[in-house]
Amino acid sequence: MSSVAVVEIDNTIDDPTRPTPLVLGGNDFTSVTEKISGIAEKPRPPRAWYVAFGVASFLTAVLFAMLAYLILTGVGVWGVNIPVGWGWAIVNFVFWVGIGHAGTLISAILFLLRQKWRTSINRFAEAMTIFAVICAGIFPAVHVGRIWVVHWLFPLPNYQTVWPNFRSPLLWDVFAVGTYMLVSLMFWYTGMIPDLATLRDRATSRLRAIIYGFFALGWRASHRHWHRYEKAYLLLAGLATPLVLSVHSVVSFDFATSQLPGWHTTIFPPYFVAGAIFSGFAMVGTLLVPARRWFGLKDIVTLYHLENMNKIILATGSMVGYAYVTEFFMAWYSGNPDEAFTFYNRALGPYAWAYWIMVTCNVVVPQFFWSKKLRTNTAVMMIIYVLVNVGMWFERFVITVTSLSRDFLPSSWDYYKPTLVDGLTFAGSFGLFFTLFLLFIRYLPMVAMAEVKTVMPAAVIEGEHRPVGDYHGDIPQTHDLHPVMHDHPEHRGDHL
Amino acid sequence: MAAREASTDPRGGYWRSLEELAGRPEFSRHLAAEFPDAADVRQDGLSRRRFLQLMSASLALAGLAGCRWPEEKIVPFAHRPEGYVPGETRQFATSLEIAGVAAGLLVTSYDGRPIKVEGNPEHPCSLGAADVFAQASILELYDPDRSQTVVQRSGHQVLNQDWEAFAVFAKQHFAELEPQKGQGLAVLVEATTSPSVARLREELLARMPQTRWYEYEAVSTDSEREGTVMAFSEPHRVRLDLSGARAIVAFDVDLLRGHPTALHNARQLARSRHPDAEQMSRLYAFESGYSLTGVMADHRFPTPTCQVPIVAACLAAELFLNQDLALPPNTGYVAHLLRPFLDHPLRPAATAAVARDLLASRGASLLAAGPTQPPFAHALCFLMNAALENVGRTVHLRADPELRPYHHRAMGNLVYRMSRGQVTTLLILGGNPAYDAPGNLPGGVSFAEALGKVGTSIHLSLYRNETSRACTWHLPRAHALEAWSDLRNPDGSLAAAQPLIEPLYGGRTPAELLSLLLEQPARTAHDLVRRAFHQETGGRGEVPADDPDFEARWQAFLRAGWLAGSAAPEVPARFRSPLVGPNLTKGLQEAQELGRVRLDRNNLELVFAPDGKLFDGRFANNAWLQELPDFLTKLTWDNAALLGPATAAALGVGQGDVVRLQWEGRQAELPVYVLPGQAAWSVTVLLGYGRTAAGRVGDGVGVDVNGLRHGLKFWGGPGLRLTRSGRRHNLACTQDHHAIDTLGADERRQRIGPLVREADLAEYREHPDFAVHLGPHHPPLVSLWQERRSEGHRWGMAIDLNSCIGCNACVVACQAENNIPVVGKKQVGKGREMQWLRLDRYFRGEPENPRVAHQPVACVQCENAPCEQVCPVAATVHSEEGLNVMVYNRCVGTRYCSNNCPYKVRRFNFFNYQKHLTETQKMAYNPEVTVRSRGVMEKCTYCVQRIQKAKIRAKNERRILGDGEIVPACAQTCPTQAIVFGDLNDPASRVAGLQAEQRAYRMLAELNVKPRTAYLARVRNPNPELATAAGEDAGGDADHH
Repeated sequence: MSSVAVVEIDNTIDDPTRPTPLVLGGNDFTSVTEKISGIAEKPRPPRAWYVAFGVASFLTAVLFAMLAYLILTGVGVWGVNIPVGWGWAIVNFVFWVGIGHAGTLISAILFLLRQKWRTSINRFAEAMTIFAVICAGIFPAVHVGRIWVVHWLFPLPNYQTVWPNFRSPLLWDVFAVGTYMLVSLMFWYTGMIPDLATLRDRATSRLRAIIYGFFALGWRASHRHWHRYEKAYLLLAGLATPLVLSVHSVVSFDFATSQLPGWHTTIFPPYFVAGAIFSGFAMVGTLLVPARRWFGLKDIVTLYHLENMNKIILATGSMVGYAYVTEFFMAWYSGNPDEAFTFYNRALGPYAWAYWIMVTCNVVVPQFFWSKKLRTNTAVMMIIYVLVNVGMWFERFVITVTSLSRDFLPSSWDYYKPTLVDGLTFAGSFGLFFTLFLLFIRYLPMVAMAEVKTVMPAAVIEGEHRPVGDYHGDIPQTHDLHPVMHDHPEHRGDHL
Repeated sequence: MAAREASTDPRGGYWRSLEELAGRPEFSRHLAAEFPDAADVRQDGLSRRRFLQLMSASLALAGLAGCRWPEEKIVPFAHRPEGYVPGETRQFATSLEIAGVAAGLLVTSYDGRPIKVEGNPEHPCSLGAADVFAQASILELYDPDRSQTVVQRSGHQVLNQDWEAFAVFAKQHFAELEPQKGQGLAVLVEATTSPSVARLREELLARMPQTRWYEYEAVSTDSEREGTVMAFSEPHRVRLDLSGARAIVAFDVDLLRGHPTALHNARQLARSRHPDAEQMSRLYAFESGYSLTGVMADHRFPTPTCQVPIVAACLAAELFLNQDLALPPNTGYVAHLLRPFLDHPLRPAATAAVARDLLASRGASLLAAGPTQPPFAHALCFLMNAALENVGRTVHLRADPELRPYHHRAMGNLVYRMSRGQVTTLLILGGNPAYDAPGNLPGGVSFAEALGKVGTSIHLSLYRNETSRACTWHLPRAHALEAWSDLRNPDGSLAAAQPLIEPLYGGRTPAELLSLLLEQPARTAHDLVRRAFHQETGGRGEVPADDPDFEARWQAFLRAGWLAGSAAPEVPARFRSPLVGPNLTKGLQEAQELGRVRLDRNNLELVFAPDGKLFDGRFANNAWLQELPDFLTKLTWDNAALLGPATAAALGVGQGDVVRLQWEGRQAELPVYVLPGQAAWSVTVLLGYGRTAAGRVGDGVGVDVNGLRHGLKFWGGPGLRLTRSGRRHNLACTQDHHAIDTLGADERRQRIGPLVREADLAEYREHPDFAVHLGPHHPPLVSLWQERRSEGHRWGMAIDLNSCIGCNACVVACQAENNIPVVGKKQVGKGREMQWLRLDRYFRGEPENPRVAHQPVACVQCENAPCEQVCPVAATVHSEEGLNVMVYNRCVGTRYCSNNCPYKVRRFNFFNYQKHLTETQKMAYNPEVTVRSRGVMEKCTYCVQRIQKAKIRAKNERRILGDGEIVPACAQTCPTQAIVFGDLNDPASRVAGLQAEQRAYRMLAELNVKPRTAYLARVRNPNPELATAAGEDAGGDADHH
């Protein structure tokens, strides 16, 4: 058993002489397993979980009630009108899809870039992605006028041989979001298999053993399993990476390929992707900060992790701010009066309040992260995360609604006002999101145990300063080097 | 007017009468008593099954009914009636009378049910156009809220009766009245020109000479009649001829709406204003609130209504005293009366210039005053018209021999007698005096109160309205489209109204009711009309039996819808000084008095105006009209007090503030609408709202202002106080839904120029291609791909903004033709109105006297349609002929097409708006157009059903489709023919010619969407003398050259 002497260290201090410790508190492999599996194994969760679950599932019920009302009555129960044909439904869709970006970015791109600190948060972020995309997927489906024929958006063979219109960005959305959802789900699940096997092996009841065993797909941690697993994981990471960029680019095409001033602009794909990462990280943070506190994960999800995320938020927030400036510049520089008006109207028109909420939350607020003191203070970062979430929701609102409400013919200008149903549906989508999330932290390992262990000092081979586990491309020759198999008593049975 | 065979008429034949079809003239006797059992149909409407039962019952009873087609029965026709093709629409000529004004109509009938009302192209006053009221009458016909039973009320007890019970009662009651020579009997009718009613009235008065006969209209044009009496000492019909008018002065008169010959005037005015004509007419308008005439005017002078007569007097003084125009014979005494108006403080600066213009157009000028103007203002106009040699050219006078008291006096008189108990039996034929009589009558008793003192009151009415509910008997009236009737056109010629369908609810006509009371046995309306026709055309007594000559004349009369050559003879203007002198002196003294009234914030002017949609309230239950945006305010489902921006600012009130109006001791509370161009210190309120017994649609919509009306100051006057109530009211407008911010207002001003292009005549003559240069400059528009080429037809449209008067007729035509649903006030307030065709209205220049631009906007059928590219399910696609087609069945309802439409002409079914319609209402649907479900996008299709129909007909007849054969509903009804549709691939077509004109431009063409609809820029013709003096362009509007 290898372990490192435990001292309380601040791992946010960058010491170039040694690798930043990613797990603190003197944890070893056993304690990590105990800690994380323990959360999912407790006979009853803490009372706070029940309260949170009660609220979330109530909101979920509200969501379904609102959707039933919508489907039985008509889209008119929302505030949409002509000219503002898209209201909160599309705003919420883009908002949730954007949030869904962080997970895959953390798991795939950071994985490819060998950012080891991702291991503590990737499971969490991926779960969030899945749930956010589920929430996102609801809105475009229910916002159509006739949901009972919504399957016509899919290229299903039919006797009339009528195909969807492949020129329509809405169709591209169907493919982009659908693919993203599938790949993210596979990625998340694949990464969870070893941990599911751990839970199966630790199961104290028959039922748990069967259920976890079913999802663990017979994982026995054999070398061959690991070999295949790592390959699959790498491939999926490779597959997911372009999707992170493509899905929000395609979502942005919904706007960019139209001819509406304020929508019809080439900056949208990168701007949307940056915004999506920005909002996604903020949402991960919003969930992570309380979770690490309530479930005692401060040693695994350390300040260092949070600080890294905050740096990304600062970077992407500034990109978003830059995009706002560029939009204005182009509106002026293009010499197109309609375009120019749209932007003056955003900043000074009837929706100026929304615009300035957006700018404040997305551009001004993240600047506090320049200060190390602030970006390592969990209370401050929590406030900033929430504000960034608010700001990013308003960004989608500003883009969708202000452009529509005042387009070419002043005779058609109108002001869009959401209804109570709009509000409750949006709140309900949060309910669904949190319900799924609470179920996740109750029943599944919320930190990727197997992966975290690879970045622990215990995984480092004596005499080498390089932790193993990060061996993509140079798979170790001897299985002895594999830390997980050595150090996990619960896996011993697999060797038999 | 030649009779023509229906089968050879390319439009499918105008009409078929009963006899022509069935050859059974005796059938008509069954008309009245045919459906006694329809009376028990429940209020919520006739079921389709019941309707069909009634229809087949009529067949079983008497063969073929009216001019309606036999219904298909389960057993097919062994012998199909000649010329009848099931499912084929046919058109019948008929007429409709609204407030004594006849409209010549052509009604389309589909398998025995009328579905569309259009103007009769051969009618002298409609010329093929129909106004909003006539077109919406189809919805009224099928209104399930219409009265369906005879109702007797005694005390609080209300009994459902039937016509037999009433006949028994009436026989006995009127038999008792006869010995007293009709003492205590009064008859109140709405204005009617029907000769058959006139004949029955004569008979009634002959038999019971003590009977009092009154006529009342809440929207009365009697002041003109009074004016003719003042000038010529006997009533005249006045008919205008604008075709030759080069200078027109309108004194608070709307020549284009509400005028007896409005449709005819509109056509002529549009013709006279063609910028390529040798001389384009020039229009001056002095008015307080906007009228269509004011919108069209080259110079509009916002003037409080009470000051307009002074302006007329000033103009007369200028003409006769300063410019030495000779007074007509017998009127020399006028000169000294006019002298005080030479330097009157209210004399407009433009007076001399207008006078010079009038003199320069001697014999081709026209002055007219409106119903709100006192009789002497009309008399002054006749005086000036006569002196300017206009009478007989632009103004035609015809004798109107009918003698009757003026409407407002009739009502005062009647109510006085009623309140004194001098009326024991009151028979009310039509109308709704309990609602629309002035609330402030001399004696302080309202009509409703006085009605309580009348022992027996009988009301014949289409609805069981406010008046019906207060009467002891209510009788259902037959709708104009389900009854025989006759009437007179504004020129006095005879017109026919024939039924298109059996009375749905067993109603009868006023003539039938009079006949029931007077004749033994009672005659049917058909009989009465034939007899009146016989007598009008020189016959005596009864209609001769089996007279082929009479039958031929009768058939021809019905076929045409009116009788050519029956107009009243024209008379010259003969002023009779002994009578005119004192009246005019008195009038001008009144004007002097009025001129001394100072209007300010504590002494505003109140003006009552008929609503452009509900008229006097009779159309309150008509949902199409309720939801029709007002031509200027764009207000739906509400009335408001209209204030000018400066007046509103001075009073500290804004849009939607509820204010209390106090006038002549009465008060009402209304929301404010701030309307640019409303005369300072003048407040216009619209009649027709606040009904309490209109029906499900009209009850409680808006505010009733009839209570404010004064019996002697019929159209309002100074003395209004306006105070804030502190409450606010939501007004549902289809444009400018919300108060606009400065940024938006500035931008709108920038955009109007390129969107609605216009220039002055001088500019146009200098730069005929100005329209192209008013558009935005953009790089050459290139296409990324090979453009589609249309080989066959290439449909297109041209809309001449110079002709469009913004009358809304096209909007209702489109609604009726295309089964467009009504959504209600709440939905309009949310921006979800459904009309496919809208009239965009913009103001330019000074808010106190802006210029108004109207622009009809429907789908422009882009060749490069942005909507088509974004629809994920290909529900909106391009047809071979270039139409941007909407496949309703395929639509999923993403609304992306609407978002991407730069014209925002697409309309979305946010709910199932057709859900709560009764079976009867559904009968108004056009069977050739799909009824859209919830969640589906819809829009203008250039009336694709009409295109297809014409194509099929041409193909069947093996000929090439002619230009002008396809007429979309909007173009069909346009009074000024501003909308032209046709094939752009045919270089000889009218539309191709118009699109090639230099005034033609395509709105938003810079987006490279290639719209198929082109607009023709408007050209105004300001007086060069005034253009600089009045500083018309102050405020620097959006025109850039």
